[in-house]
Amino acid sequence: MAARSNPGPRPAGAVGVATAALLAAVLLAAGCTSGDRREPAAATTTAAPVAPLRVQLVATARVPRGGPDARSAARRAAPGVERFLDRYLAAAFVDAAGGETSWDGLLGLFDTPVRVAARRQLDALSLGAAAPKVRVVRPQRATARAVILYGGRRPAAATVRLAFDATADTAQGSGPVHLRSVLQLLATGEGWRIAAFDSRTGPPR
Amino acid sequence: MTPTRRRGLAWIAALGLAAALAAGLVVAASPPRPATAQSTPTVTVQRAHAGEATPALKKRIVVLTIGSDAGAPRFGRGGSVERGRADALQLVVLDTARRRGAVLSFPRDSYVPIPGHGTNKVNAAMAFGGPRLLVATFERLTGLRIDYYALTSFDGLTDIVNKVGGVRVNVDMNLRDTYAGAFLDRGRRTLAGHQALAYARARKTLPGGDIDRSRHQGQLLVGGLGTFQRQVAKDPARVLTWLGVMREEVRSDLPFPELFRLALLATAVPPRAINVIPVPGAGGSAGGASVVRLQPRAYALFARIRAGRLS
Repeated sequence: MAARSNPGPRPAGAVGVATAALLAAVLLAAGCTSGDRREPAAATTTAAPVAPLRVQLVATARVPRGGPDARSAARRAAPGVERFLDRYLAAAFVDAAGGETSWDGLLGLFDTPVRVAARRQLDALSLGAAAPKVRVVRPQRATARAVILYGGRRPAAATVRLAFDATADTAQGSGPVHLRSVLQLLATGEGWRIAAFDSRTGPPR
Repeated sequence: MTPTRRRGLAWIAALGLAAALAAGLVVAASPPRPATAQSTPTVTVQRAHAGEATPALKKRIVVLTIGSDAGAPRFGRGGSVERGRADALQLVVLDTARRRGAVLSFPRDSYVPIPGHGTNKVNAAMAFGGPRLLVATFERLTGLRIDYYALTSFDGLTDIVNKVGGVRVNVDMNLRDTYAGAFLDRGRRTLAGHQALAYARARKTLPGGDIDRSRHQGQLLVGGLGTFQRQVAKDPARVLTWLGVMREEVRSDLPFPELFRLALLATAVPPRAINVIPVPGAGGSAGGASVVRLQPRAYALFARIRAGRLS
């Protein structure tokens, strides 16, 4: 009851209310507008840096009797498969944006007996017909699981499940790009080549 | 305004301040959001597309598959697998463009000319000159160019079937063959290695003898193809499992890249598009030994195959 009769706190309470309201307004305003101030408008999203493409690969190996240890064989072969998949996704999506490059670089990654079929099915393997309208492809996720078959002491073939998600910017806005593929790879004198594929692009099913 | 109400308002204001401070700090401390699709209008960049392909190989591929009676220590068969007698002989003809094929099942006792060795049972050709002479014998007999051979033993066949988890075969008769150890009921069955070998070897109790046996061998090949395809459909990496097993258990002049391409092609050839055709022959004798003499219909069959008619 003493507090009720104490006049001291009355002005302090009033000041507190006013200060609180002011601070709240300022801070809320600052918080609410901070995104707008720092984030470019939708039309300028292409200015943001494109994250480098790097496939995250999990590899296992099948080795012949008397061959290398399976674990170390997988470790040894993985970087080569990873580099190949990086090249593939770069040629199929990242570098294909704009539609100014031919598909020959991408098709060169296919084994000769499957190249004609790959050319006919570029839409299922890459940006395909959408490439000319895309300004830039921003990789978000690139993961792969590979089983690598050793012949003697060297990789001979591999089965790869590849998943790639990205955002593509166009003049009309941005949209997601997806790839889900099973690639059968053959080790050739020129490196890995895709000998068969089962591939999907576009919205996931 | 009473003091109580004023104190209440002060508390509310203090709480509001704390909340506002917290909210403001959280927002202010947040890193600038990257320019991602979430902050921009979402458009459809690409509609759904699906595609698949297996290698397009040369139009016709002919492979001679050989089961040797040697090189199988577990069955008490010593010697080199390549110098044994060829007791299982199938000529696999694939039309790669039309994705179909034929398996010509040859009786091992077929009495045929062997280059440089007169006329003899065809299974003796490998003992005389290895797989290459056997291939030459078949090329002369059928007029077909044979691209590759694939050779295994009793042990090899048993191991192949076991390592791939069994082979599903349409067993076409009830079998009670004590000689080969074949005890199988008619119907679709998944055979283990020893059962597959028994099915491939049973002859003495079969009504058609060697002809029935060679047909069963062809059925095993087609059953193997179906099993392979079902496994690969579930797990594409099973291609590598089968290739690994083949490399361990089969001798062949098929280079690995071609074997791999052929295996990938085989995923797209329906087993029902493979006809198992026993080569027509009739029992006879030569020099006191029982032989099978190929009938004129056999040579007509070879001519049809050469012309690309595989059905």
